[in-house]
Amino acid sequence: MRGINNLVRIILSGKSINAQRSYSEKFYTLGNKLLNLSPTFGITSRRFTQNADDTETICNVGTIGHVDHGKTTLTAAITKVLSSENDDSKYVSYGEIDKAPEEKARGITINIAHVGYRTKARRYAHTDCPGHSDFVKNMISGASQMDGAILVVAATDGTMPQTREHLLLAKQVGIKEIVVFVNKADIADMEMLELVEIETRELLTDIGFDGINSPVVYGSALRALQGDMSDFGVPSVRKLLDVVDSYITTPTRDYKSPFILPIDNAFTVPGRGTVVVGTLKQGTLKKNANANLLGFDEEIPTTIGDIQIFKQSVLEAKAGENVGVLIRGIKISRVQTGMLLCAANSLSVSNHYAAQIYLLTKREGGRKKPMQASGYIQPLYSSTWHITCRVDLKLPDGTELLMPGEHAEARLTLMRKMPFLEGQAFTIRENKCTVITGIVTKQLGSIPVINRKLKKVQLSK
Amino acid sequence: MLASKLCRFIHTNNSVWQATQKTVLSELRKKTGYTFANCRKALQLHGNDLQKAEQWLTEQAQQLGWMKATKLEGRATGQGLIAVSVRDKHAVLVEVNCETDFVARNKYFQGLVTTVASATMKFASNSVSGTDLVNKVSLDSETLKELPAPDGKTLADHSALIIGSVGENLSLRRALCVSVNDDILITGLSHPVPASPSATLLGKYAAIVAYRAPPKSEQLGKRLCQHIIGMNPAKIGEKGVDEPNPVLDDETTMIYQEYLLDPNITVEQLLTDNQAQVIDFARFETGETLATEKQPLEAVETCG
Repeated sequence: MRGINNLVRIILSGKSINAQRSYSEKFYTLGNKLLNLSPTFGITSRRFTQNADDTETICNVGTIGHVDHGKTTLTAAITKVLSSENDDSKYVSYGEIDKAPEEKARGITINIAHVGYRTKARRYAHTDCPGHSDFVKNMISGASQMDGAILVVAATDGTMPQTREHLLLAKQVGIKEIVVFVNKADIADMEMLELVEIETRELLTDIGFDGINSPVVYGSALRALQGDMSDFGVPSVRKLLDVVDSYITTPTRDYKSPFILPIDNAFTVPGRGTVVVGTLKQGTLKKNANANLLGFDEEIPTTIGDIQIFKQSVLEAKAGENVGVLIRGIKISRVQTGMLLCAANSLSVSNHYAAQIYLLTKREGGRKKPMQASGYIQPLYSSTWHITCRVDLKLPDGTELLMPGEHAEARLTLMRKMPFLEGQAFTIRENKCTVITGIVTKQLGSIPVINRKLKKVQLSK
Repeated sequence: MLASKLCRFIHTNNSVWQATQKTVLSELRKKTGYTFANCRKALQLHGNDLQKAEQWLTEQAQQLGWMKATKLEGRATGQGLIAVSVRDKHAVLVEVNCETDFVARNKYFQGLVTTVASATMKFASNSVSGTDLVNKVSLDSETLKELPAPDGKTLADHSALIIGSVGENLSLRRALCVSVNDDILITGLSHPVPASPSATLLGKYAAIVAYRAPPKSEQLGKRLCQHIIGMNPAKIGEKGVDEPNPVLDDETTMIYQEYLLDPNITVEQLLTDNQAQVIDFARFETGETLATEKQPLEAVETCG
């Protein structure tokens, strides 16, 4: 299955616009997002789309916890237990995880270990992050979104003072579900285990997680790694995987919401009209539906004339499919790459967005100088479009600079109103170098840019 | 009636007893924050007497901290915080390192860094003096460890206590004391600036600057510190002696650098406009490689 998938991908990537991109083994495990190639219209095989639908779900989990509580041992134990059960999981030793080389994702260096494995229910991309800023960089660079986390607490120590910081971070990167693994249970007594559990639940609740319903598993990662079959050995890791399977939900492809079709390409079919091409991001597109074409200050109403998938007319298309859409009453000159077609009145465009950004270091090809809190204006690139953008940072009181290598909340003001979806990634370039990378967190109300002068825009506090 | 009550009492006795014990362990843990293993040991040694156990733990904390410190010694500490503190004519910069940036965000660790800064400040006010305009004394890790904290214990003891509670290796890396004479002003700033301003500022970077300027120039001092943190100049430079670097972006001589907050002017111009003169400056960055330290061979970056 995996071999075929890979083969199909290699063939496709060879044919598609992404010819220069090569998909390494490592990226393969990183989750659906990276695998979602968007092949150009007309040359794709039907098989690929079906495959994309069939793809098993991938869940991204991370281990968090104190350095000595056994995160790495647990990760190694999980791969060991699973490698004895299926061929898709490979045992990764403690040393290999511990000495993971620095990775580069979208130009950012991340000091992080990625491990892949598969349970009966789904495939996992497992992340082991050493630090807070590594975690945030990981999220902003989009290397892997975290769907859930395993909090490792040693029964002998209980929660550490900095466990609070670990959980705050999990909250910040958008994790909602946490499974607790009380490690080193073999060298503690039952009473200690229960107290650690109570204490951890209290802390989870305190930070805003569901401390009451979060599953807690007692075990010993070390024993499991040694192949011990007693309760705290291999069975405890098995049990942990079962609760992770059932408790942590994966986002599924959304067929129900109003459709969104980002436009990759547009052309005219003589005698028919304008056709736009793209991959349906969400929802179900139906023939004759009312739609809006958004972007570059425009909001143009239209209707769907015809839908084609691989040169065959269909009545509807679902999220994930690459489609060509005939839009009625719109001249090709009004369509630009980077616009978006959506269900009528389902989305609005704005020129103002909240985002999380990371300022690249000189070593990563970014700036040497820090960035000032406001008034930074440079071109912003996202998906197939780019536009002039002003960045204003939201820094803690008293701080006026952002040093290279740091991340911050920011507000983006675009020269024109553009569709920008929550979670969409972008970069900002200066003198042909990528200096900022980020993701959109929220759409904000539009603000007027008088005479196209971004410098003079007044931002409300 | 009475008999049945008595009966019930006997019946539940066992679980009541267990519950009491559980409360004692959890109470001790909540009260002291020491690890479960240590709390359990303390209770076992003192027959579940909460007060005695707590007393024993407090007495043992120092020793346990030292044991932990010895155990963790040698583990790499690449994260941490810089503290900067300024009082009258004295200023200090200190760096304390830990293993992960989670601990650097923790209030226990921040408390330790503040203690180290105030001990160093005390040392600076008592011992650092001289006839020069600016007198500087650098303290290495060993000297720092021996400095007495306000409570009389050494800084090494304080550090061991925190190692015992956060379970990470920590190191008191370095400190710099600066004292100025006459009309020289001294200002310090950290980055990021802490949310609640206090006498000691903690951050990932910090700088102090000694300068001469007309009265009420505190703002200028802060701006200069920001510039030093952001642009990382190697020296102040002297007009006529130092040549400007042909590539502006690689300029390391402060007076020729473009001013961080207004790239249209150079630092030299800023100083002229404000009738000010920079006498000396210092900048600390968390985890930076020091010129005096030997880099391990595997950490050296090569082009291959």
